Amino acid sequence: MNMTVVNHHLSVGHIAIGGVASASLVLIGDSETIQLASAFDTPPESLIIGPFPEKQNNKKNEEKR
Amino acid sequence: MSRLSIVHFLRANAVVFSSVVQIGDSQEIRLSARALAVQRQLEYVDSREFPLLFPIFIKPIPTPPIDAEPLCRHTLHNCPLIAVHSVRVIGISSTSVVHIGSTKTVEAESRVKHIRQLTERRKEHASSRRSD
Repeated sequence: MNMTVVNHHLSVGHIAIGGVASASLVLIGDSETIQLASAFDTPPESLIIGPFPEKQNNKKNEEKR
Repeated sequence: MSRLSIVHFLRANAVVFSSVVQIGDSQEIRLSARALAVQRQLEYVDSREFPLLFPIFIKPIPTPPIDAEPLCRHTLHNCPLIAVHSVRVIGISSTSVVHIGSTKTVEAESRVKHIRQLTERRKEHASSRRSD
Protein backbone atom coordinates (compact mmCIF):
# COMPACT_ATOMS: atom_id res chain seq x y z
CA MET A 1 0.00 0.00 0.00
CA ASN A 2 1.26 3.43 -0.90
CA MET A 3 0.45 6.36 1.32
CA THR A 4 1.44 10.01 1.26
CA VAL A 5 1.08 12.23 4.31
CA VAL A 6 1.50 16.00 4.06
CA ASN A 7 1.93 17.78 7.38
CA HIS A 8 0.98 21.43 7.32
CA HIS A 9 1.19 24.01 10.06
CA LEU A 10 0.14 22.60 13.46
CA SER A 11 -0.32 24.95 16.36
CA VAL A 12 -2.26 24.20 19.56
CA GLY A 13 -3.15 26.66 22.29
CA HIS A 14 -3.78 24.82 25.57
CA ILE A 15 -4.05 21.11 26.42
CA ALA A 16 -5.66 20.25 29.76
CA ILE A 17 -5.48 16.60 30.82
CA GLY A 18 -6.97 15.17 33.99
CA GLY A 19 -5.10 11.89 34.07
CA VAL A 20 -2.89 9.66 31.98
CA ALA A 21 -2.92 6.14 33.40
CA SER A 22 -2.50 2.39 32.76
CA ALA A 23 -0.16 2.19 29.79
CA SER A 24 -1.30 5.38 28.12
CA LEU A 25 0.62 7.85 26.02
CA VAL A 26 0.43 11.56 25.34
CA LEU A 27 2.68 12.30 22.42
CA ILE A 28 3.49 15.73 21.09
CA GLY A 29 5.60 14.63 18.18
CA ASP A 30 5.88 11.89 15.60
CA SER A 31 5.99 8.13 15.96
CA GLU A 32 6.22 5.11 13.70
CA THR A 33 4.49 2.37 15.68
CA ILE A 34 2.47 2.47 18.88
CA GLN A 35 1.12 -0.60 20.66
CA LEU A 36 -0.67 -0.05 23.93
CA ALA A 37 -2.51 -2.78 25.81
CA SER A 38 -4.33 -2.71 29.10
CA ALA A 39 -6.18 -5.44 30.97
CA PHE A 40 -8.41 -4.71 33.92
CA ASP A 41 -10.11 -7.38 35.99
CA THR A 42 -12.83 -6.89 38.59
CA PRO A 43 -15.03 -9.97 38.28
CA PRO A 44 -17.82 -10.77 40.76
CA GLU A 45 -15.59 -13.52 42.14
CA SER A 46 -13.11 -10.90 43.25
CA LEU A 47 -15.51 -9.90 46.01
CA ILE A 48 -14.53 -11.97 49.03
CA ILE A 49 -16.94 -12.13 51.94
CA GLY A 50 -15.13 -14.17 54.48
CA PRO A 51 -13.12 -14.28 57.64
CA PHE A 52 -10.04 -12.19 58.14
CA PRO A 53 -6.89 -13.69 59.60
CA GLU A 54 -6.91 -14.40 63.32
CA LYS A 55 -4.86 -11.46 64.41
CA GLN A 56 -7.46 -9.09 62.99
CA ASN A 57 -10.31 -10.64 64.98
CA ASN A 58 -9.43 -8.73 68.07
CA LYS A 59 -11.77 -7.61 70.81
CA LYS A 60 -12.79 -4.39 69.10
CA ASN A 61 -14.17 -6.23 66.12
CA GLU A 62 -16.04 -8.67 68.30
CA GLU A 63 -17.72 -5.82 70.15
CA LYS A 64 -18.99 -4.32 66.93
CA ARG A 65 -20.80 -7.51 66.08
CA MET B 1 13.09 13.53 9.24
CA SER B 2 10.93 14.11 12.26
CA ARG B 3 9.33 17.35 13.24
CA LEU B 4 10.37 19.70 15.96
CA SER B 5 8.04 19.90 18.95
CA ILE B 6 7.81 23.20 20.77
CA VAL B 7 5.97 23.39 24.08
CA HIS B 8 6.21 26.67 25.93
CA PHE B 9 4.76 25.52 29.23
CA LEU B 10 4.28 22.06 30.77
CA ARG B 11 2.93 21.42 34.21
CA ALA B 12 2.52 17.89 35.61
CA ASN B 13 1.26 17.63 39.17
CA ALA B 14 1.96 13.98 39.94
CA VAL B 15 4.12 11.48 38.09
CA VAL B 16 3.81 8.15 39.89
CA PHE B 17 4.23 4.35 39.53
CA SER B 18 7.03 4.22 36.96
CA SER B 19 5.66 6.88 34.67
CA VAL B 20 7.79 9.13 32.57
CA VAL B 21 7.76 12.72 31.36
CA GLN B 22 10.10 12.67 28.40
CA ILE B 23 11.31 15.94 26.93
CA GLY B 24 13.29 15.26 23.80
CA ASP B 25 13.35 12.58 21.14
CA SER B 26 13.55 8.88 21.94
CA GLN B 27 13.97 5.70 19.97
CA GLU B 28 12.11 2.99 21.82
CA ILE B 29 9.73 3.00 24.76
CA ARG B 30 8.68 -0.20 26.50
CA LEU B 31 6.40 -0.03 29.51
CA SER B 32 4.99 -2.79 31.66
CA ALA B 33 2.86 -2.67 34.80
CA ARG B 34 1.20 -5.26 36.97
CA ALA B 35 -1.01 -4.09 39.79
CA LEU B 36 -3.00 -5.95 42.42
CA ALA B 37 -5.38 -3.64 44.23
CA VAL B 38 -6.79 -5.16 47.42
CA GLN B 39 -9.42 -3.19 49.28
CA ARG B 40 -10.50 -4.40 52.71
CA GLN B 41 -13.10 -3.48 55.26
CA LEU B 42 -10.57 -4.15 58.00
CA GLU B 43 -7.00 -3.03 57.89
CA TYR B 44 -4.76 -5.97 57.08
CA VAL B 45 -1.65 -6.04 54.93
CA ASP B 46 0.36 -9.06 53.84
CA SER B 47 2.38 -8.66 50.68
CA ARG B 48 2.88 -12.43 50.30
CA GLU B 49 -0.81 -13.28 50.57
CA PHE B 50 -1.66 -13.17 46.84
CA PRO B 51 1.08 -14.36 44.53
CA LEU B 52 0.85 -12.70 41.13
CA LEU B 53 -0.39 -15.88 39.48
CA PHE B 54 -3.86 -14.77 38.44
CA PRO B 55 -4.75 -15.42 34.79
CA ILE B 56 -4.85 -11.70 34.08
CA PHE B 57 -1.14 -11.47 34.87
CA ILE B 58 -0.20 -14.45 32.70
CA LYS B 59 -2.54 -14.47 29.70
CA PRO B 60 -1.10 -12.86 26.60
CA ILE B 61 -2.95 -9.76 25.45
CA PRO B 62 -3.64 -9.96 21.71
CA THR B 63 -2.35 -6.95 19.84
CA PRO B 64 -2.76 -6.04 16.19
CA PRO B 65 0.29 -7.15 14.24
CA ILE B 66 2.75 -4.55 13.07
CA ASP B 67 3.75 -4.63 9.41
CA ALA B 68 1.16 -7.24 8.48
CA GLU B 69 0.89 -5.50 5.14
CA PRO B 70 3.88 -3.91 3.45
CA LEU B 71 3.37 -0.17 3.66
CA CYS B 72 5.17 2.47 1.63
CA ARG B 73 4.68 5.78 3.36
CA HIS B 74 5.91 9.14 2.22
CA THR B 75 5.68 11.97 4.69
CA LEU B 76 6.15 15.54 3.55
CA HIS B 77 6.63 18.16 6.21
CA ASN B 78 5.43 21.44 4.80
CA CYS B 79 5.91 22.99 8.19
CA PRO B 80 8.30 20.93 10.35
CA LEU B 81 6.91 22.27 13.64
CA ILE B 82 4.39 21.11 16.23
CA ALA B 83 3.71 24.07 18.46
CA VAL B 84 1.79 23.81 21.71
CA HIS B 85 1.52 26.79 23.98
CA SER B 86 0.75 25.04 27.26
CA VAL B 87 0.09 21.55 28.59
CA ARG B 88 -1.42 20.92 31.99
CA VAL B 89 -1.56 17.33 33.31
CA ILE B 90 -2.87 16.55 36.77
CA GLY B 91 -1.73 12.94 37.07
CA ILE B 92 0.44 10.47 35.18
CA SER B 93 0.26 6.98 36.63
CA SER B 94 0.89 3.27 36.07
CA THR B 95 3.56 3.26 33.36
CA SER B 96 2.26 6.09 31.24
CA VAL B 97 4.26 8.59 29.26
CA VAL B 98 3.89 12.23 28.42
CA HIS B 99 6.32 12.68 25.57
CA ILE B 100 7.39 15.94 23.98
CA GLY B 101 9.39 15.04 20.94
CA SER B 102 9.47 12.27 18.43
CA THR B 103 9.89 8.57 18.97
CA LYS B 104 10.02 5.44 16.89
CA THR B 105 8.26 2.61 18.69
CA VAL B 106 6.09 2.55 21.78
CA GLU B 107 4.96 -0.65 23.46
CA ALA B 108 3.04 -0.56 26.70
CA GLU B 109 1.19 -3.14 28.74
CA SER B 110 -0.81 -2.73 31.92
CA ARG B 111 -2.53 -5.45 33.93
CA VAL B 112 -4.67 -4.55 36.92
CA LYS B 113 -6.68 -6.82 39.20
CA HIS B 114 -9.04 -5.58 41.88
CA ILE B 115 -10.01 -7.64 44.93
CA ARG B 116 -12.39 -6.45 47.61
CA GLN B 117 -12.79 -8.17 50.96
CA LEU B 118 -15.63 -7.54 53.35
CA THR B 119 -16.30 -8.97 56.78
CA GLU B 120 -19.08 -11.51 57.18
CA ARG B 121 -22.20 -10.17 58.78
CA ARG B 122 -23.10 -13.30 60.80
CA LYS B 123 -21.20 -16.43 61.57
CA GLU B 124 -23.97 -18.79 60.36
CA HIS B 125 -23.79 -17.16 56.94
CA ALA B 126 -20.10 -17.72 56.77
CA SER B 127 -19.26 -18.35 53.18
CA SER B 128 -15.85 -17.81 51.87
CA ARG B 129 -15.53 -17.09 48.21
CA ARG B 130 -12.25 -16.43 46.65
CA SER B 131 -11.34 -15.60 43.10
CA ASP B 132 -9.21 -17.95 41.03
